[in-house]
Amino acid sequence: MKYFAVIAIIVLFYSCDHGLAPPPAVEPGFGGTIYFAKGTWPPQDSLVNVWLFASQVYPLDSVKIFSGLLSNPPTIYIYPALDGNLPFFVDSVSYSFKVPPATYRYIGVLQRFRDEINVRSIRVVGVYSTTDNPPLPIPISVGDFQFVPGININVSFHKLPPQPF
Amino acid sequence: MKKIITYSILFLACFSTALSQTGTGSISGKVTDAETQNPLAGANVIIKGTFLGAVTNTHGEFKIYKVPVGTYTIEASLIGYQRKLFSGIIIKQGEEYSLSLQLLPAEIQEKEIVVTASRREQGLQEVPVSVSTVTAKTIAERNNITLDDALRYVPGVNLMQDQINIRGSTGYSRGVGSRVLLLLDGLPFITGDTGEINWEAIPTHQVERIEVVKGAGSALYGSSALGGVVNVITKDFSQSPELRFRLFSSLYDKPRYAEWQWTDKPRFNSGAMLTYSDKSGPLGYLVSVGRTVDESYRQNDTYHRWSLYSKLKYDLSTSQNLTISANFVRRTHGNFFWWRDLREATRPADSQLNGNVESNRGNIGFHYKEFVSDKFIYSVKGIYFGNFWRDDSAGNVNNVSASHLFNFEGQATYEIAKSNILTFGVAGNYDKVNANLFGSHPGVGGAVYVQDELELTSQLRLTAGLRFDMQKVSSLPSVAQLNPKLGIVYKLDNETSLRASFGSGFRYPGISELYITSSTNVSQVVVLPNTDLAVEHSISYEIGAGSSITPSVFVDAAIFSNSFDNLIEPLVQIKRYKPDPTSTREVEGPVIQFENVTKARIQGAEVGVKIDWWKKHLSSDVGYTYTWPEDLTEQTILKFRPRHILYASGALTFGNFKSSADVRYVSRIERIDENLVRLAPIIDGEQRVPIKVVDLRFSYDLIDEGLPVRVGFNINNLLNYHYVELIGNLAPVRSFTLTLDGIW
Repeated sequence: MKYFAVIAIIVLFYSCDHGLAPPPAVEPGFGGTIYFAKGTWPPQDSLVNVWLFASQVYPLDSVKIFSGLLSNPPTIYIYPALDGNLPFFVDSVSYSFKVPPATYRYIGVLQRFRDEINVRSIRVVGVYSTTDNPPLPIPISVGDFQFVPGININVSFHKLPPQPF
Repeated sequence: MKKIITYSILFLACFSTALSQTGTGSISGKVTDAETQNPLAGANVIIKGTFLGAVTNTHGEFKIYKVPVGTYTIEASLIGYQRKLFSGIIIKQGEEYSLSLQLLPAEIQEKEIVVTASRREQGLQEVPVSVSTVTAKTIAERNNITLDDALRYVPGVNLMQDQINIRGSTGYSRGVGSRVLLLLDGLPFITGDTGEINWEAIPTHQVERIEVVKGAGSALYGSSALGGVVNVITKDFSQSPELRFRLFSSLYDKPRYAEWQWTDKPRFNSGAMLTYSDKSGPLGYLVSVGRTVDESYRQNDTYHRWSLYSKLKYDLSTSQNLTISANFVRRTHGNFFWWRDLREATRPADSQLNGNVESNRGNIGFHYKEFVSDKFIYSVKGIYFGNFWRDDSAGNVNNVSASHLFNFEGQATYEIAKSNILTFGVAGNYDKVNANLFGSHPGVGGAVYVQDELELTSQLRLTAGLRFDMQKVSSLPSVAQLNPKLGIVYKLDNETSLRASFGSGFRYPGISELYITSSTNVSQVVVLPNTDLAVEHSISYEIGAGSSITPSVFVDAAIFSNSFDNLIEPLVQIKRYKPDPTSTREVEGPVIQFENVTKARIQGAEVGVKIDWWKKHLSSDVGYTYTWPEDLTEQTILKFRPRHILYASGALTFGNFKSSADVRYVSRIERIDENLVRLAPIIDGEQRVPIKVVDLRFSYDLIDEGLPVRVGFNINNLLNYHYVELIGNLAPVRSFTLTLDGIW
């Protein structure tokens, strides 16, 4: 009888837990924290824009950048928006970037330091990477109903990653 | 070829003529339980010092034909009974010697005889290392279609889909060779290209038993025995014409969640196996054919398999026999590598939706064995294992691989004295791989080994062994290895024995790890070759004890420590590389390359308790393994290793009715390969839970109703618990299986 009691307890214990379950439908995207190295922020006059970007294409050149931003649907997305900015002169900022489901091969932080609009007026100042030396991009995939957390990016305006163009 | 066949026939004819010229008689009889007087079916009755023998039928009867005139000792054995010798059996020409053999029920620890731990037959209590066995009966009752399923309930063993892990030795990395050596009837049986175990190539319904030796075993078996050895021993022939069949059909239940119900149609897994065997005079043969169609519970995961197996054994004399076996498996399989994401866990990623893998695998082997005298026995055996596969996507062939592997071995066992047994031998291998992923490369190796077992006192037994291996792959320099082993068994009394062992293991890098040159169709990342890979090493220590506390309670416990060095893993690095071999420019980016990266130590303890209750109507078997798998390179837990593995099973038997339950718990894998998840990419690949599975089985034997048929009903994953063994792969949902086994 003891034996059956033990089996019954195990089965009852087990039956409370169903294991994996599908996650609730969420708006696809990714998020994390951007860390700015202290004391490296440039002067205000060279901070026209600071954006987070996510590109499905890598490597990039000037043609691919503009076609990626302007194509329909785009292959490059900007956060918070083309006419918006990440906050300036902060040590870190959390973000939540809603993007269509896809593999994003190049995620980073972009600084526009001149008013003119061409590749000579922008530079990548941080990149999502698994390695620090050199900090080269690592892709992430966003599923249909998936929000990928933990995409943290280190930015130093004094030590730039390899530029894509 | 024609000449070989002609010479073979002449060779066999000469021996059979010699045999027929000797005067012969026969031995017949009945084997019964000494306590209940019930006939015992399936008992082995053999004539010592010869290959002559028989297995009792359902009435406990046996007959051994063509026994040369002389005086013999007969040994009768059956699992659960004490082995018994009957000496002074005098056979006269043309006469039938009749025997009535009674066997006494044995205590549990005397049940099993194993052959893998020391390359010869030994009682489990005489073995200095931990050994677990899985019998044909268990495989049939659980309706295991492939052998990896049969190993899921062995203490200390866990499987990540098809990759076996003994006491944390292996982990999981796709494309890296196995760190557990699989033997088929004692010969290495891993693929020539990837160095992996291919479970489907083994005919499950022809398996007599599986022996799992835990700990490094390269001192006897060479490369790949880093974490342990699994030896699959195939069945022998029936003494009279016998037709066996097995039919099964499983219905997959629906997953718990509507999001995972990708089809409204019921999904079945069905199959049939038919085996005919007979022994006519010195010739025994067996032919078996099997067909399995698994529609799967997942999309694009269907599985179609044809298998053909045959075995032929010829008794050249009472002391010589030759066995030839051949096996062929053809399989087509949907290419479900991982799920689309956890919301659609039963659908594959888009890139795998139209993928398909087709494989043809076959082996042919021979085994010649001779008793030169009561004290000296030798055998020569060899096997060819051919492995051909290709994968395609929407009809376009992506990868093609052909590998040919030849293994041969000569072994002798010499009883120097009653207390001193020497085993020694030579082994060799040749393999050739031709694949678009790995290129075209040959490999060749050789080894010599020796082992001495010394009974210092009636209580103390010492085993020492040494093996020297040499391997050369393609144009790379040859690599030599020397591996020792040492074991001690001390019998405190008839019920209790203590054991201690030390052994070392190694694994040569596989051709796939050395030479893989491009990305697979399922990964976005380039994979580069690395011909500088060094050999993996391991050292195992174990102390254990086994004791029959009472005649119906057996306890076995062990503590172990295994250290590993130079473990090969796929490593993601930023490198400059040529996008293709003909390119003149280099690009920089993330690549995967196999590297010797990990130094590890796995320590742990294992305990097993077997109890018989209510005059053996009820039996229970519980095994628990704790491991602390430490990555010494990164100072953290090793990837893909669980800390806790618990198996419990119970069986209730009343006459011809049997019911049993299995419970399996494997703690959540604490660390996985995050780079694999990220780069493959496997969406939600980090999602995992502990494994908690309950299986139920019922069977009824219709033999008393005049039908030699057993009907079985299984419910696997009774609670429909959803889990993954391998990242991004939902394990089977609940299924209901009806089985029919018969013998004519």
